[in-house]
Amino acid sequence: MHEVYTYPNSQSQFLRATKVIPSGVYGHLGPAEGCFIPVEAFPLFGDHAKGSYVWDIDGHRFIDYMCAYGPNILGYNDPDVDEAARKQREKGDCMTSPSTVMIDFAELLVDTVASADWAFFAKNGNDVTSMAVMAARAYTHRKKIVFFKGYYHGVSPWTQKIDYPGIIEEDVINNIYIPWNDTQALERVFAENRGEIAAVIGQPYMHGNFMDNQLPVNGFWQKVRKLCTDNSTLLIVDDVRAGFRLDIKGSDHYFGFEADLICFCKALANGYNVSALCGKDFLKNTISSLSYTGSYWLSAVPFAAGIACIEKMKKLNCPQILLDKGTKLRTELMKAAVEAGFDLRVTGMPSLFYLRLADDDSLMLHQKWIAECVRRGVFFTSHHNHFINASLTDADIAETVEIAKEAFDEVRSKM
Amino acid sequence: MMTDAATLAYINLYGILGAIPAMLEISAEAKKILGKSACSIGFAVKDGPSATLSFAGGRCILREGADDCTVKLPFGSPEKFNGLIDGTVTPVPTKGFTKLPFLLGKFTKLTDLLTKYLRPSEEDMADPDFARISTTLMFGVITRAVCQIGNHDRIGKASASYIVDGVIRLGIENGPAFAIQAKKSRLAPLPKVPEKVTSMMTFRDMDTARALFDGKINAVASIGTGDVRMAGMISQIDNVNRILDRVALYLA
Repeated sequence: MHEVYTYPNSQSQFLRATKVIPSGVYGHLGPAEGCFIPVEAFPLFGDHAKGSYVWDIDGHRFIDYMCAYGPNILGYNDPDVDEAARKQREKGDCMTSPSTVMIDFAELLVDTVASADWAFFAKNGNDVTSMAVMAARAYTHRKKIVFFKGYYHGVSPWTQKIDYPGIIEEDVINNIYIPWNDTQALERVFAENRGEIAAVIGQPYMHGNFMDNQLPVNGFWQKVRKLCTDNSTLLIVDDVRAGFRLDIKGSDHYFGFEADLICFCKALANGYNVSALCGKDFLKNTISSLSYTGSYWLSAVPFAAGIACIEKMKKLNCPQILLDKGTKLRTELMKAAVEAGFDLRVTGMPSLFYLRLADDDSLMLHQKWIAECVRRGVFFTSHHNHFINASLTDADIAETVEIAKEAFDEVRSKM
Repeated sequence: MMTDAATLAYINLYGILGAIPAMLEISAEAKKILGKSACSIGFAVKDGPSATLSFAGGRCILREGADDCTVKLPFGSPEKFNGLIDGTVTPVPTKGFTKLPFLLGKFTKLTDLLTKYLRPSEEDMADPDFARISTTLMFGVITRAVCQIGNHDRIGKASASYIVDGVIRLGIENGPAFAIQAKKSRLAPLPKVPEKVTSMMTFRDMDTARALFDGKINAVASIGTGDVRMAGMISQIDNVNRILDRVALYLA
């Protein structure tokens, strides 16, 4: 039986944080947006990380299936990536002129990503999804953007909804929302907005929160691609979350189509802060015309880290490793659930699996099970997809399944 | 405009005046004012809500429609009705002139008492019994206002459209609880909280609830401290919270 964790240091530090930081910990790493239910089951602050593990400030070790919400793809503190970053840091990072390592990184992305003829760098996923939308509007001279319901493309006002605090109607008035996998709806909005749609933006598959993840139905992306081409509309793939986990050449390549613009971040440099927008040659001049930059966007260390990360992902055939490990974990978790008498649904790609106990529509049972897993050292979350990293071992998977079983037993005992 | 008069009229009728039945259940002072009087007051708002408050046997119920009442108060617009609530419009009944003493006497005293509970002074709130009644009534007003905003306010309707069907429980630990039923993007307060709900948001105690209602503490930070707990279909809670932001706008 595994130790059941408590978090006195986390809780006291959180109180300290609330005095000087809005919400204590804001955003997806925080207890509200992160859906820490109940909050006592979750660590609130990390101390250090290595490989597939994170340790919290109460000294507990977790097998981490959130991977910092995606950036950790090779394993925390990967020695090859860290060594490349260290060497570049000794030479220079944030300088008046960019390092030529930026060119090296762009060349590597162009050689690696199927739909990339160029690369533009920023820091966060939101930077490049916003740039992609700006570029689409600049290129087409049109206003409207089509989204698939359940999307997440960042936090800029255009990505939010009309009822979110701080958002005004004008921020979202040109947004059109259609159901995922519904090409008829897309045909309809093209017909109703002829000559007005600048871009269709979508994640490679629907990994929305609070719902089972949905892969594209056969022919979906090909139909979307054709409709965009026929209507002179750009197709933007937001590969920030799934990028390099499905296919080193990009998730559009995995699903058999070509994006006009594709956005990367998370797994791009194994935790070093860089994002990239890649695209087709015909958009290069448009990108050049945009006024878009940032203080740290051309820092050299993340570029060096990104080069090392991509080269190692290629060498390992990382997507296949993640698929194999994710499939093994999914199979074992579902087997454990059946043995414990629970209906565990594991959806999405195995390398970015989403969990839901379907025995209870309200999800309260699911939340209890997730909480019991976390308390015993497996960092799952209730309502977000998870991430596999390449350093995860068979022993880690076996320990995860043991803990999942203990958590099932604990939940069962309280039913 | 960030708010609209018709939505405010729905809030004023179903949310604010809709608190009178609960006030008569939990406030001895309110019971004393009403005594054994019986009267039904219908509010008919053109291009807005219509409902009747029926007083009898020391209790009150609120029901839809204003046709079956002893005193009928018609209002030519939501703005006129909202003027009644903020004290700038004096209503003229179209029927029930014999019941005018109730309208001008006991009913006015009851609405004055309700105002005292809903806009309390610091001195009043120092009395634990008063504070309990005030917070309970305020909680009910907020819950009903959420429903009205979700059903009538243009942006509130957008939030309601994202709420999956089910029952949302809003409660205070060891205190009052309310329930909202979401069905096909329409929200309705339930008279009783069912045992099985789809989601819940629970405040640690009366003080926490009050501080949140008064905007003195932050709900998101309070989730981290455990002062506010949520469970179940969190997307329901998330969207109710977006409507709650608009409640503050309407009730300010």
